[in-house]
Amino acid sequence: MRLITRERYIGRGLGMWAFWLHRLTGLAIIFYLLLHVLVISSIVGGSANFDAAMKTLKAPIFVLLEMGLLATIIIHGLNGIRIVLFDVGIGVKHQKEIFIAMMALGVLPFLVGFAIAWPHIFG
Amino acid sequence: MQVQFKLKRFNSETNAKAYWSDHTVEIEPTDRVLDALNFIKWNLDPTLAYRRSCAHGICGSDALVINGRNRLACKFLMKQALKESKVITVEPLRGFPVLKDLVVDMEGFFAKYRAVKPYLINHEREPEKERAQSAEQHARFDFTTPCILCAACTTSCPTFWADKEYLGPAAIVQAHRFIFDSRDQGGQERLAILADSGGVFTCRSIFNCVEACPRGIDITRAIYEVRQKMLFDKT
Repeated sequence: MRLITRERYIGRGLGMWAFWLHRLTGLAIIFYLLLHVLVISSIVGGSANFDAAMKTLKAPIFVLLEMGLLATIIIHGLNGIRIVLFDVGIGVKHQKEIFIAMMALGVLPFLVGFAIAWPHIFG
Repeated sequence: MQVQFKLKRFNSETNAKAYWSDHTVEIEPTDRVLDALNFIKWNLDPTLAYRRSCAHGICGSDALVINGRNRLACKFLMKQALKESKVITVEPLRGFPVLKDLVVDMEGFFAKYRAVKPYLINHEREPEKERAQSAEQHARFDFTTPCILCAACTTSCPTFWADKEYLGPAAIVQAHRFIFDSRDQGGQERLAILADSGGVFTCRSIFNCVEACPRGIDITRAIYEVRQKMLFDKT
């Protein structure tokens, strides 16, 4: 309770949520890359080993997790573009609108990805 | 009308930890939060410590965390505060050592302000009259001139909370005010300081400072303009 009353600062706007989202998705992507290297390295144990790993990953639950990965990368990438724009002198004044626009832009690729994955999850 | 107040108190002589004190204040909706603090100090608890000087939004003494946001107590009206919450909470600024109650030690803040050389640097001989400047030249840095050094921006910045070496938004705003002044020749000195660790590249574009500034300064724009001058302006 003390921690909450001490550290709670309500005056955060959309920019702060964008910052946290960027941090958390960044950490999630690092975590994924580690897992990815681990899975790919199964080839060291021979092609049968690798094929078995790939077969496991075709399970619906992993495809569903991949959708989470897709959303994570879309959010991180598009917000990354937003931050790069600031650095070249564009959009600091309209940072909120640009964040909303970027997230809206991300909906379409996510839906396309989800449509492709749909039969692998529910089919 | 009667309004409930919750103040974050601290007295190193009597308590090891900060605590909350509750007060009922007789006040009008058109009064300011500062008037409520005055009411408490003058009528209820004379031991309450807080800062105020001009009480009209210019000196920058009474920046406080009111209802969880950085504001000037002398500019924030009771009716605005009551829209957010029935009980008004007032706390000292975050990220600075608390001296007593709502009073924080701002020495570190002003040390950072001085570090960016916030004064005119011009090596030419002083002219007979004033140093002339066109309206266009002034417009280049006009938006950073309203800063009153209240520290509302710097103490709303999560990067500053985490990294005490960071110069903070206020110092960068002050540096911007001189870097882009056509009469000033100390730009390169200041850019060297701001390019160092704890300078402009420490900013993570969180925009809390812009939300907090009681003077409506687009602080992140100032930070990015200084960055752009470093990165793209070779003159």
